[in-house]
Amino acid sequence: MGGTGQIAKAVAQAGLIVLLGPLVTGFVQKLKARLQCRQGASVLQPYRDLSKLLRKGTVQSDSASPFFRAIPVLVLAATVTAAALLPVLWAPAQPATLPLGDAILLIALLALARFLLAIGALDAGGAFGGMGASREMTVGLLVEPALMLAVFSIAVSVGTTDVGMLAARRETLTLAWQAPDLLALFAMLILMLAETGRIPVDNPDTHLELTMLHEGMLLEHSGPGLACIVLATHTKQLVTLTLVAALFLPLGLARGTAPAEIALATAAFAGKVLVLATFLGLVESSYAKLRFFRVPQFLGLGLVCAFLALALRIL
Amino acid sequence: MSVELATRLIDVLGALLLFTMLLILAAGQLFRAIYAVAAQAVFLGIAGAVLAAATGNVDLWVIAGITILAKAMLLPWLLIRVVRRLQIAREIEPVIPSHVTFTIAAGIVVLAFHLNASLGSVRQAITGNALPVGLTLILIGVLVMASRRKALVQMVGLFASENGIFFTAMAISQGMPLIIEIGIVLDVVLGALVMGILVLRVRSSVDTDIADLESLKG
Repeated sequence: MGGTGQIAKAVAQAGLIVLLGPLVTGFVQKLKARLQCRQGASVLQPYRDLSKLLRKGTVQSDSASPFFRAIPVLVLAATVTAAALLPVLWAPAQPATLPLGDAILLIALLALARFLLAIGALDAGGAFGGMGASREMTVGLLVEPALMLAVFSIAVSVGTTDVGMLAARRETLTLAWQAPDLLALFAMLILMLAETGRIPVDNPDTHLELTMLHEGMLLEHSGPGLACIVLATHTKQLVTLTLVAALFLPLGLARGTAPAEIALATAAFAGKVLVLATFLGLVESSYAKLRFFRVPQFLGLGLVCAFLALALRIL
Repeated sequence: MSVELATRLIDVLGALLLFTMLLILAAGQLFRAIYAVAAQAVFLGIAGAVLAAATGNVDLWVIAGITILAKAMLLPWLLIRVVRRLQIAREIEPVIPSHVTFTIAAGIVVLAFHLNASLGSVRQAITGNALPVGLTLILIGVLVMASRRKALVQMVGLFASENGIFFTAMAISQGMPLIIEIGIVLDVVLGALVMGILVLRVRSSVDTDIADLESLKG
C-alpha cells in the first residue's frame, strides 16, 4: 500500500467521523427522549444547531487575549487529527510504510484538545469557565492514565501500539478472548462514559452553572467558534466509540477498496457504533449524575480494572 | 468439554470474579455490594460447573448447584431482609479513603499473581489462573471487612472471602470433597443467620455502630 493511498484512506475516515459525529449525538438524544416518553428532536438536530451557530456573529470577552480566537480551530484540528489515526473502515494488512501515528499519539491529541479548551476557558476570565476547566482537568487526570493502561493491555498481547494494526491482528483473534480483555473492556466502558462527557460523570444537557463540566468551558465561546468546539465534542465522542470498537469489536474491517468490502465495513461500523451509542443512552437514562467528589471513586474503578488487565497480561 | 476450552472459560470467569470483587470494593450503597456478591457466587457456580464438565467429577456438579442456591440466592435474600428490617442508611462509609483501598487492592492482585509463579507446583493445570484469582478474592474480602464500618458490609466481605476460598480449593484440588463442601456451605448460612440476628439485636437493644464497640476495649 502506497503512502498516498494510506493518507487518502486516513482523510476519508477522519471525514466520515466528523460527518457522522453529530448524528451519533442526535441518536443518543433521540433514544433518551423516547425512553422518557417524549417525542424528542430529530436525529438531525445537532446538524441544525451547528449550521445556526455558523451563521451567527462572534462576541468575545474584553479580557480575552488574541489567542482565544484560535482555540476553537485548534481544538477541532487536534480532534480531527486524532480521528485520522483510527481504523474506521479499513484495517492495514501490513505495517504502514508511512506511520501516521499510534494509540499513544491519539490519546495525546485528545489530551491536547482538552488542554486547549481549558486554557481558553481560563483565558476568557469568566468564573464558570475556570470552574469547568478545573473540573474537566480533574476528570482528565483520572481518565487519561486509565485509557493508556487499557490500550497498553491490548497492545502488549498484539505487540504494536498502532490502532489499525491492533484492530487487524485482533480481528483474527476475536473468538480467543482472554481474561484480561474482559477487564480491559469493563475499564473502557467506564472510561467511555467519562470521555464522552455523559452521565454519571458529566451531564451534556445541563446548563446549570454549578454542575457543568464540559459545558462550563464553552460559555465564553460564541458563533462559528462555538460551532467548531461543539463539532469537536461530537467528533471526540465518535472517536472514543470507534476506539472502543477498534480494540474490542474489530469485525468486518475492509482490506481493499472493492465496493462490496467497503459496503460491508460501513455496515459493520454502523452496527458497532449503534451498539455503543445505545449503551451510552441507556446508562444516561438509568443513572443519576454522580456528585463531583464521587466521580474519582467511579473512575478509580476504571483505573483499577485497566491496571488489573495489564497486570494479568504481564504477570 | 475439552481441557483448553475449560481452562479459557475458567480464566474468563476468574476475570469476572475479580470484576465483581472490585464492584464490592467500590460499592457506595449497601444493595449494590449485596448484588455484586450474589453475581460473584453465580460466576463461581458456573466455574464449578465448567470444571465438573471438563473433569467428569459428579460431586462438583452438586457443589456448583449448592453454591448457586445457597450463596447466590439464599444469602443475598437474607442480607436484603436484614437491611430492610434495619432501615439503615444505605450509604457505605469506608474507614479509609476509597482511592487508598483501590491502591491496596491493586497491590494485592500484583502480589497474588507474583506468588503464583512460586506456587506453580500445587495448582492444577486445567484451572489456569484460578489460584492467584482465588488468593486475590480472599485477601480483598479481608480488605473489605477491615475497611468498612457497617457490620453488613463486613458480612459481604466475609462471603466474598469465602468465595475466594472455594475458588482456591478448585484451583489446587479440583474442589473439596462433597461432604466438606456441604459442611462449609451450612456453616456459612448458619454464620449469616447468627450475624444477621446479632446485628438486628445489637441495633434494637443498644442502637450502636460497629465503630462504637472500639471504645469497649480496656
